[in-house]
Amino acid sequence: MNNLAQAIWVEFLKARRSKMPLFTALGFAMVPLGGGFFMLVLKDPEMARRVGLISAKAQLAMGAADWPTYLRFLTLAVGAGGIILFGLIASWVFGREYSDRTLKDLLALPTSRSAIVLSKCIVIAVWSAALTVMTCLITLGVGAALALPPVAPQVFWRSGITITVAAILTIILTTPIAFAASAWHGYLPPIGVMILAMGIGQLTNAAGWGEYFPWSVPALYAQGENLGPASIIIVILTGILGLAGTFLWWELADQTH
Amino acid sequence: MNTVIETDNLVKRYGDVTAVDGLSLRVAQGAIYAFLGLNGAGKTTTIRLLLGMVKPTAGRARVLGTEIRVGSKKPWDAVGYLVETADAYPQLTVRQNLEAMRRLRPGTAPQAVDRAIERLGLGPYADRRAGNLSHGNAQRLGLAKALLHAPELLILDEPANGLDPAGIVEIRNLLIELARDQGVTIFMSSHILAEVSRLAQRIGILHQGRLLQELELDELERNRRRWLLVRTRDCQAACSMLRDAGFSAETTPNAAIRITDLAAIEHPEAIAARLVQAGHALTLLNVEEEDLEQYFLRLVGMDGGNSK
Repeated sequence: MNNLAQAIWVEFLKARRSKMPLFTALGFAMVPLGGGFFMLVLKDPEMARRVGLISAKAQLAMGAADWPTYLRFLTLAVGAGGIILFGLIASWVFGREYSDRTLKDLLALPTSRSAIVLSKCIVIAVWSAALTVMTCLITLGVGAALALPPVAPQVFWRSGITITVAAILTIILTTPIAFAASAWHGYLPPIGVMILAMGIGQLTNAAGWGEYFPWSVPALYAQGENLGPASIIIVILTGILGLAGTFLWWELADQTH
Repeated sequence: MNTVIETDNLVKRYGDVTAVDGLSLRVAQGAIYAFLGLNGAGKTTTIRLLLGMVKPTAGRARVLGTEIRVGSKKPWDAVGYLVETADAYPQLTVRQNLEAMRRLRPGTAPQAVDRAIERLGLGPYADRRAGNLSHGNAQRLGLAKALLHAPELLILDEPANGLDPAGIVEIRNLLIELARDQGVTIFMSSHILAEVSRLAQRIGILHQGRLLQELELDELERNRRRWLLVRTRDCQAACSMLRDAGFSAETTPNAAIRITDLAAIEHPEAIAARLVQAGHALTLLNVEEEDLEQYFLRLVGMDGGNSK
């Protein structure tokens, strides 16, 4: 895997100079800000109705204005929303080479194609992790600004661990999206794959088999479902297959784009 | 002389379509070899085969002594290339695009970026985003990426694409200089024979995936058809007279006589004397030559019989 460090530098440059980090950061910031909005409303629903934050008909069934409710909202949003947002990042990082028609410039270089694929995967992972950390920090800031009632530090630790594990599982599941972007040459097909995966996830959840469908696992884990090791193994195997498929595609497939 | 590019019976099929059909060619070190063909002739597929981007269905290709396989890691440190259109990351500036390429080519000095910018005349655009470049400057950026690491071999797909006339001359001179002064081998494709004839020493003509003809530039000149064009007050009568004298003469749609005999082409004055003696005053006497486009179209069977 020669010249990996330089390949990572190049991938970060390409990501940094685009508008995608800003858009994804704004998208993910909606999670703690939206949660904060509900905390504000729950703190004083009557005041929220009076000033027009919510309509008179709004049904508030979210819970209480406290840290456990807020952190649970965050955890669920990262578990479910991460699939979409991290998947979008993977679609963009791989698919842009086809949309910008720059792939051909990466195929006959002294830097191996595997190094380029790995550098892209590293950028996706770091980018997704940074968004998760940013979301957690905004949550802490918003919660503190709303003066939510203090809780034991263990509440924060537990939520932190759950969010971290859910984010890692979700990041692992970006590799099949990277494969779809490579094999179908662009952004849109992997987004279609993502929507399909989420649709199947809904069905498997409804049928009670969600813990065996990889794209359902992070959300179920975030909800606090008691998942067995099989679920985690299925996610890891899916990630490995996606990664291997992407490597093999870049190394061995005919590249005509 | 070392062979830099060597293909043996190279075939590439996509389903029922044969893009490259039994291509065998050799390109010597320091040569400028042009690959000429219409759109869809198989030029870009050949270039992709040489760069290991697609697998051959049959045959083999060697570049700089290395057998090319899809995904092979050699010999790319010594090869610069431009395939199809010159594309770049639109959000990166010219300089950043070159810097990215430099880092992916280990061993290339940081100063190479400035050198490439200067060499391709991109100085005024160095800090402009690639997405905002004109077509011609985007092409220059593509060429700068290919030249960045001072390669031994340049594989260029339509290098003059999008350049204005001054740019075409500039790039042509640059390529000639690289081949002449630095021994760089240049393998380029084009569909413009006139441009190719000013640059290349050897030309391969590709049509429907097959190499129709490979020839040196002077052979190309020799192979072009010539004829003597004559016009008189009465072309029909003059033509009959010439035919009676044993010449292959025919009238043309624009009321002239075309004579294709070598004797007539080499001695038009003899024809003129013969016609005047027979009482046919000349209004036109001119040796004409098939232009390069006509020659090419005749070769690929697309001239509609115009240059007989």
